[in-house]
Amino acid sequence: MKNIINSFSKTDDRNIRKLKKKSLGILYSVFRLVILLSIGFIIIYPLIYTIVTSLQSKYAFLNSTRVWIPTEFAISENYRAAFDAMEYLQSFWSTFKNELISAGIEIMSCAIAAYGLARFDFKLKKLYTAILFLTILVPEMMIMIPRMLNYSHLDFFGILGLFNKITGVDIRPNIIDTSLAFWLPSLFGVGLRAGILIYIYIQFFKGLPKELEEAAWVDGAGPFKTFLTIALPSSGVVILTVTVFSMIWHWNDSLLSGMYLSNSFPLARQIARLPETLGSKYHIILSARDPQGIGYLMAGCVLFVVPMLIVYMIIQHWFIESIDRVGITG
Amino acid sequence: MKKAKKNRGISELKSRYGYLFTTHWIIGIIIFFALPLIQSVIFSFSKIEIVGGGINMDFIGTENYRQILFADANYENWLSSSITSYLYSLPIIILLSMSLALILNQNFRGRLFFRALYFLPVIISTGAVINLIFRTTSNDMSNIGVSDAYSANMISVDDIVRLLDIQGEAAKYITVTISKIFDLVWSCGIQIVLFLAGLQSVPSSFYEASRVEGATKWEEFWFITFPMLSRVTVLVMIFTMVELITSERTTLIRNVYSMMRTGNYDETSAMIWFYFLICGGIMAVIVFLFNRFVTKRYE
Repeated sequence: MKNIINSFSKTDDRNIRKLKKKSLGILYSVFRLVILLSIGFIIIYPLIYTIVTSLQSKYAFLNSTRVWIPTEFAISENYRAAFDAMEYLQSFWSTFKNELISAGIEIMSCAIAAYGLARFDFKLKKLYTAILFLTILVPEMMIMIPRMLNYSHLDFFGILGLFNKITGVDIRPNIIDTSLAFWLPSLFGVGLRAGILIYIYIQFFKGLPKELEEAAWVDGAGPFKTFLTIALPSSGVVILTVTVFSMIWHWNDSLLSGMYLSNSFPLARQIARLPETLGSKYHIILSARDPQGIGYLMAGCVLFVVPMLIVYMIIQHWFIESIDRVGITG
Repeated sequence: MKKAKKNRGISELKSRYGYLFTTHWIIGIIIFFALPLIQSVIFSFSKIEIVGGGINMDFIGTENYRQILFADANYENWLSSSITSYLYSLPIIILLSMSLALILNQNFRGRLFFRALYFLPVIISTGAVINLIFRTTSNDMSNIGVSDAYSANMISVDDIVRLLDIQGEAAKYITVTISKIFDLVWSCGIQIVLFLAGLQSVPSSFYEASRVEGATKWEEFWFITFPMLSRVTVLVMIFTMVELITSERTTLIRNVYSMMRTGNYDETSAMIWFYFLICGGIMAVIVFLFNRFVTKRYE
């Protein structure tokens, strides 16, 4: 009798414990969902707001009952105004020519430098690594002005300046207002946030198995051939990550383009000065009390974000998967 | 004997290749990084006039620094507000992105969707466009008067803080945090990516072993996950600090940048150098303390 009671209570106990564990698990997943959704809301809210506002006319703002569903549409008016004010096609071309191409150059030159730092041992390696960290830490802002001033008489180690002093002929090129102002730093691996990109590459290359490359060495392939045929093909994952970062940073860069270009602005610069452009073009003073310009402004923002968003949607699957495998952080 | 010589030959060759692969980079560093950096130090100690295409420089010692620190009424305000907002935001961004990465690293339905959603700020938040969007969003919320009517009936953050009887600095901290929540969450994009990558690199055998030993999730976090993440945390901290310091949403940077565009190069150089020296000092102290008390303990 006693035994039976005992065994009953035992199974009961086990069941209760199981139930408790299960309900705790459910409680936790609900909690997780709530957290994810509420912070997700914070992320998505400004975007939805921007899109909804860009669709409606100024009269919609007078209707205090509208919040999310647009009532008075003015799609074509808003978007045409923003399109014209930003000189969209021209600016898009400028972004492509200056920013995206230099992102492409940067991806390659950083890979080469990173391979050198990751694979080979040499005396100055420690110094080079220290410099690399310095480039990550020192903000672009600090060196922007002197760089700009140097760009008007670009010089390589004073050689061209010396030539100027001796012969009186100034052959130092002025690369302000040309794409070279963006391409050259990228070509030398010191472009926009190149330090971080090199760091990501280094961490990845260090993790690649050495054996394949050594086999290629034994077979008589030179270092560049090994790099091109062995290392690069097996690092598609990291190249994707770096490409995404570099493209995004270049696309969004309004700081440098504002300094180096005085006409033919890229999109990022146009969007930064859109309030002023709208003001001078349509005589709108942007303030919250005057909703006329807000629709235009938000349409401009949508036009700016959409190309990157499309690219993101196409590659996000690979990008999210690749994060799992890059091991950026060693 | 012969073999040793041969080996030395190979390692010499390899070191030569090391220099070869980094030549272009080091040239770039000298022309586009070191030179401008030195120049900007010189600028901060000089008086600069723009003449024609070039500039005229006169060395004036620490005059610029004296000017901005003692004569300029604005600079100290900009400095203090920028540095406080930097110190406010840093711990929250680190904690928030670490916990979000921990959640996103778990296995559950809809995880890919949430990951895609949480990486969205990576695309947008580094640009000028986010300043516009935030400005308009918050303007519309508070000024147009639509939401005033609703929010009047709702409990505000201040009420909650009062209700919970939190006082002094803690209360202010909570209020500021919640009023800046958009800004903070949107600054977490790349940090989440970095933490996720760090979490992926923790060997799963550690967790299996701890489960056999009967460790709770809480212990698992403190004895496996957090120690393994400590190096990533340093990287994320440095990245976040640089982001926060140079963000155009910072009062000081915004003002200095608009001054720069009017051609004021000497005083702005001094302003930026002073600001970055202070921020860099704070950064060094934080990273040193973290290394000393967290990272070193686990190694």
